[in-house]
Amino acid sequence: MVVTWITLLAAGLGAWSVAAATLPLPDYYLPPPTAVLAAFVDLTVKGILPTYVFASLRRILLAAALGLVVGVPAGLLLGMSRRVADFFYPLLNFFQSVSGIAWLPLMLVWFGFGERTILVAVNYTVLFPVIFNALLGVRSLPPLYANALRTLGAGRWRIVRDVVLPGALPSIATGMRLGLAYGWRALIAAEMLVGAHGLGFMIFNAQSFHLTARIMLGMGLIGLLWVVLDYFLLRPLEEATISRWGLVQR
Amino acid sequence: MLVVAWEVVTRGGLVSALFLPPPLDVARTAWELARDGSLWVNLAASLGRVLLGVVTSVPLAVGLGVMVGLNRRVAPVVEPIVGFFNALSGIAWLPLAITWFGLGWTSVTFIMFNTIFFLVFFNTLVGVRSVPRTFENAVRTLGGSRRHVIFQVLIPGALPSIVAGIRLSIGFGWRALIAAEMIATSTGLGFMIFNAANFHQSDAILVGIITIGLLWLATDRLLLQPLERRTIERWGLVSSQS
Repeated sequence: MVVTWITLLAAGLGAWSVAAATLPLPDYYLPPPTAVLAAFVDLTVKGILPTYVFASLRRILLAAALGLVVGVPAGLLLGMSRRVADFFYPLLNFFQSVSGIAWLPLMLVWFGFGERTILVAVNYTVLFPVIFNALLGVRSLPPLYANALRTLGAGRWRIVRDVVLPGALPSIATGMRLGLAYGWRALIAAEMLVGAHGLGFMIFNAQSFHLTARIMLGMGLIGLLWVVLDYFLLRPLEEATISRWGLVQR
Repeated sequence: MLVVAWEVVTRGGLVSALFLPPPLDVARTAWELARDGSLWVNLAASLGRVLLGVVTSVPLAVGLGVMVGLNRRVAPVVEPIVGFFNALSGIAWLPLAITWFGLGWTSVTFIMFNTIFFLVFFNTLVGVRSVPRTFENAVRTLGGSRRHVIFQVLIPGALPSIVAGIRLSIGFGWRALIAAEMIATSTGLGFMIFNAANFHQSDAILVGIITIGLLWLATDRLLLQPLERRTIERWGLVSSQS
């Protein structure tokens, strides 16, 4: 398996180098892999790359934390009462289906070009799918379980802890995954449009100067960071919920 | 009720109209934009791009996904690669697309293609691979040929995953489109609202946002969800808990 991987990688890089060297295109169309590597070294030495990576990561992690701390409890709370849930369901559904990027123009009017606009857009994009799915998770629980516990004399807190939370967990995990996936892309787009640090800003800015190697480097990092985020943040969350409380068939 | 509250707050002068225009103004702007036709032109441009993205990428992605999924040696190698491009999908392609194709239709279509293609490809691949081998062996034992296995076991078994992938990919594609239109085109709903921001026309922005939200909800509710439900009901015999 590892051998296949290395062979494949080498073949890919080789084909890329050959194509970059032989195709009758201007250099900035397809820079060779060595140029991307050079860009990586150059930007790391100058300290730009670590700053940008850190800026993007900080923004998405902040949004993830907010989703967990605020979004999940809010969704659970709203889902607890049938009437409240019915009222908020269409509203939340609307807000979660409009991406934060669509709000960006209005946010620019509200907050101007700057960090605040990016943060609001990303947090918005993450928060609503999380709240919506938490609410959905609670609402779709069969009342049977809560009634069974209540019959046995359980209090309200007991029901929240032993029925509502575990029952809604798979849906919460889905919401987190969807919210963060949307949020990561919204972040890149917001950084492009608002332009204050970050990987999105880096690749967009590089485009105006035809620094294609930088674009490719940025794209590689964007993909890689998501894989890392997925592996260290989302997978553990899903494993802790779906496998443990394997109520949902996926 | 919410609209009334919105109206009261904005009319009462608590919030300036530049920040949040009253709903009546938004409705009037919507009416004007609809009458002079610009709303429809932009709406048609956006919908056309989504459609173009779907038509070009979905058949290719499903076909390729099934082909790769069939090969037990190739599939585990390809899966993480597609997964990586999946992580990269959407707006991150924009700078490269502009470098290669310039501003305009081609760039946006390229982005839409990448977003939808890799997601559907990935889901098809995973779907085909997660069909329990028992089913395949059962058909084989009963004398089924390879064609039987492919068309009567693997593809139906993968269908729920494929359809889920299509639904998800259009969701991602739609969002990427709005962002791409803001930067790379001069038509479409994304362009409309971003352009309105330059002129501080908050009411036009809100018209755009509401249109975008309703359009996606309508597509999802009337087209994608029924499709998904029907596939799962029809082919839902396959358990994914293998």
